[in-house]
Amino acid sequence: MKAIRIATLATVAALAAAGFSASAQAKTLTISWWGYNGEKMTANIIEPFKKICGCDIVFETGNNADRLNKLKLRGGKGVDVIYLSDSFSQLGIEQGLFQEVDPAKIPNLADIYELGRAPQGKYGPAYTIGRVGLVYDSAKVNPPITTWADLWRADLKGSVSLPGITTTAGPMAVMEAGKHAGVDPYKDADKTFEAVTALKSNVVKNYNTGSELVNLISTGEVRVAMAQDFTLASMQAAVKTMTWAKLKDGDIATLNTVNIPKGSENADLAYQFINFILSKDVQQKEAEQGVDAPISTKVELTPDQAKIWTYGAEQVNALSRIDYAKMNAAKTDWIDRWNEVFGQ
Amino acid sequence: MTARIHPVLGILTGIVFLFLLAPLVIIVGAAFSDTSYLTFPPRGLTFHWFANIFAIEAFRTTAVTSLEVAFLGTGLSLLIGVPAAYALNRYRVELPKWLATLFVLPILVPEIVFGFSLLKSITIGLGLPVLPSLILGHALLVLPYSVRVVGASLAAFDFSVEEAAISLGCPPVKTFLTVVLPNIRAGVIAAFILAFITSINDVSVSVFLTGPGISTLPIQILAHMEQFFDPTIASVSVLLMLVTVGVMAIVEATLGLTFLTK
Amino acid sequence: MNKFAKWGLTLPATIAVIVLLLVPVILTIATTFDEPKGPFSTYAAFFNSGFRVNILTRTLRIALITTSISLVVGFLAAYVIAQMPGRLKSLAIIAAVFPLLTGVVVRSFAWLIILGKNGIVNDALTGLGIIAEPLSMLYTEGSVIVAMVYLFVPLMILTLTGVLEGIPRDVIEASSSLGAKPVATFLQVILPLAVPGLIVGAVLVFTGSFTSYATPQLLGGERQMMMGTLLYQRAMVTFDWVGASTVAAIMVVITIAIVAIMSRMARRLNPMAV
Repeated sequence: MKAIRIATLATVAALAAAGFSASAQAKTLTISWWGYNGEKMTANIIEPFKKICGCDIVFETGNNADRLNKLKLRGGKGVDVIYLSDSFSQLGIEQGLFQEVDPAKIPNLADIYELGRAPQGKYGPAYTIGRVGLVYDSAKVNPPITTWADLWRADLKGSVSLPGITTTAGPMAVMEAGKHAGVDPYKDADKTFEAVTALKSNVVKNYNTGSELVNLISTGEVRVAMAQDFTLASMQAAVKTMTWAKLKDGDIATLNTVNIPKGSENADLAYQFINFILSKDVQQKEAEQGVDAPISTKVELTPDQAKIWTYGAEQVNALSRIDYAKMNAAKTDWIDRWNEVFGQ
Repeated sequence: MTARIHPVLGILTGIVFLFLLAPLVIIVGAAFSDTSYLTFPPRGLTFHWFANIFAIEAFRTTAVTSLEVAFLGTGLSLLIGVPAAYALNRYRVELPKWLATLFVLPILVPEIVFGFSLLKSITIGLGLPVLPSLILGHALLVLPYSVRVVGASLAAFDFSVEEAAISLGCPPVKTFLTVVLPNIRAGVIAAFILAFITSINDVSVSVFLTGPGISTLPIQILAHMEQFFDPTIASVSVLLMLVTVGVMAIVEATLGLTFLTK
Repeated sequence: MNKFAKWGLTLPATIAVIVLLLVPVILTIATTFDEPKGPFSTYAAFFNSGFRVNILTRTLRIALITTSISLVVGFLAAYVIAQMPGRLKSLAIIAAVFPLLTGVVVRSFAWLIILGKNGIVNDALTGLGIIAEPLSMLYTEGSVIVAMVYLFVPLMILTLTGVLEGIPRDVIEASSSLGAKPVATFLQVILPLAVPGLIVGAVLVFTGSFTSYATPQLLGGERQMMMGTLLYQRAMVTFDWVGASTVAAIMVVITIAIVAIMSRMARRLNPMAV
């Protein structure tokens, strides 16, 4: 009896304590982001920014879909700045979750590449550039991969991995299939998916996370993959001969954006924060330490530091851009079609 | 129950355990591999991935949260689940049948919808802060184990023994603790283990109930893996196994070494 | 006192489940009937898609096979564990619990090593000359079932060991002293008494495998899509909570139906079982 009573009291007390400790604090900036590389984020951004703003900073972590879903369920409240990859920030914009951004409040916008300033209309800017392209094992794939069309090559039977349709890069595979078929994928989904179907015998398994892809590469199941640039280093650690293909028809740009949700209670702090992460100092540090590719034109890197990033005006301008509004509109249909192709 | 085991059964059970343990050998091996990706057989030997768990602050803080949530959530679920299991078996004939089904709901409903609904009811509806929401959510998540696994043990219990004790003047609660509980100890412990493990591994519910400032270890691991593909995840699994051995040792020490043997 | 005990003891759990789970889930599912095209339009759309019905039957098949295998394997192991002496028994149970502690990604990595084209099984088979070319065992229905059985056998073992231990020794002795053969004792005494545990185990495993998401995602890929994967896509990727809730409602109805059938069958074996 006594034991049960003590246990009850302890549980109730703990619940109560947990409830009360989370309140109070004058000015707190709440940032929603992925949650990796926390140490570097703290050293390069959070600690210096705390000194500038005199505020406290709290994080909500999780992947794009999880955090955006939660923000929507809370009616756009609870978070002041949200980091998202561009396909998801477009979704957030369409759901009416973000404030329009006043460029005058972010002076550092002037120093970043044009394509990052207002990539999705009047909403938040991009703070880093990435790219999606093809990687291949140069020891086993001969001749080398030089164009997106090589994905359809007969000698690659059973050795390709594409990003799953529900990941950031997945719909881009559909885009490339449309190009391969010579049609506009948004207008002619039938022809586009004929090209996707033609890829099927080359595909072993599509991946949903970077770690899955690295596993597939390290165990030799996959020799060619469509991937985001940040996975390259891990793939090369597993298989030295993994190579980023130099595509004639160009890699695809992916941007990570920052937005201010409609329900933000500290919009001024949020502007200040966004301006801060676009500053040359922060961008320089993040790039040098291998955290994020710079979007500021002021950042200067040695060739060695730059080799993992999309760096310099020439490379940046060569990237092809995706119209996410169109893509998201087509996505539900694409997911169904994709499932039917690969699900059989 | 004790009977002699036919050698064929023994061998078959050995095969079952081989099946259960072989993948673990691979995971333990990969956790010590001196490579920045998962590989087996391991190349080199390093404790780096274990050190990594302790070096990264987010892993430390979320591990503490996960343990808190798992202990309190499991405790809460046993607190409301064991009485319910008892009543369901003791008054089986008198209580409506749907009541038993009700307590299985948390596992009948697909996890994502469960998490989504909990976010709407607990966090937004009750307006509870993050940590209590998590504890309450996890208590509900593991309630089926508390009710059904303990219930399965109670089904074999002969309630006439309890009645005898009460008719001899023993108060009901004391009877429960001294007569009923010792007989279903194995069930309660099995429920605790299953519930605790479910809670500490949970992703689907936690994804929705974590919030600004508070996250759990599995969520943090997923976040880490968005960017890094190293053996840290394998070493977390190995650590969890060690912690389990520790917890089991504590359970044995406090509840008696013979908890599973009677 | 009796009346108070009867209802009072179940009350906290009942309220918690109804208020925090049942009502919000019903509200979520209610949105699927509030569609412009008519209350059942989303369901009609689901069952009119051969592809989706395929996913449903595959999910059912995988869940039922997983449950059957787990029942047999789990019962066998639990039966043997229940006879073990103290120390050994604790060790066996701890070992059985371990698989539950591995994250799904590392676990799928382990199966990649075992079942992959360069994996241990293929190496052994080609080495022994049984097969010439490595078999493709991954991303098949079989690999999903193997991985699920792996995950659910521990659950079955834990549930059943407690129940089998609860069977009083003198009942078994009585049976054999009355001349029953071991097989008869097993079928007529032990098995019926274990039925409550078997039901609980089967329900936990069936619901667990029917609604699972991560395991089929990683070990089945898109070729082996299951209901959980479909639901996840709808809810988290396209924000289509109505579509997701439709999938969820279908899943809940089917699980409840199957659980009811299982309980009915079990009641034939042991009328005292819930």
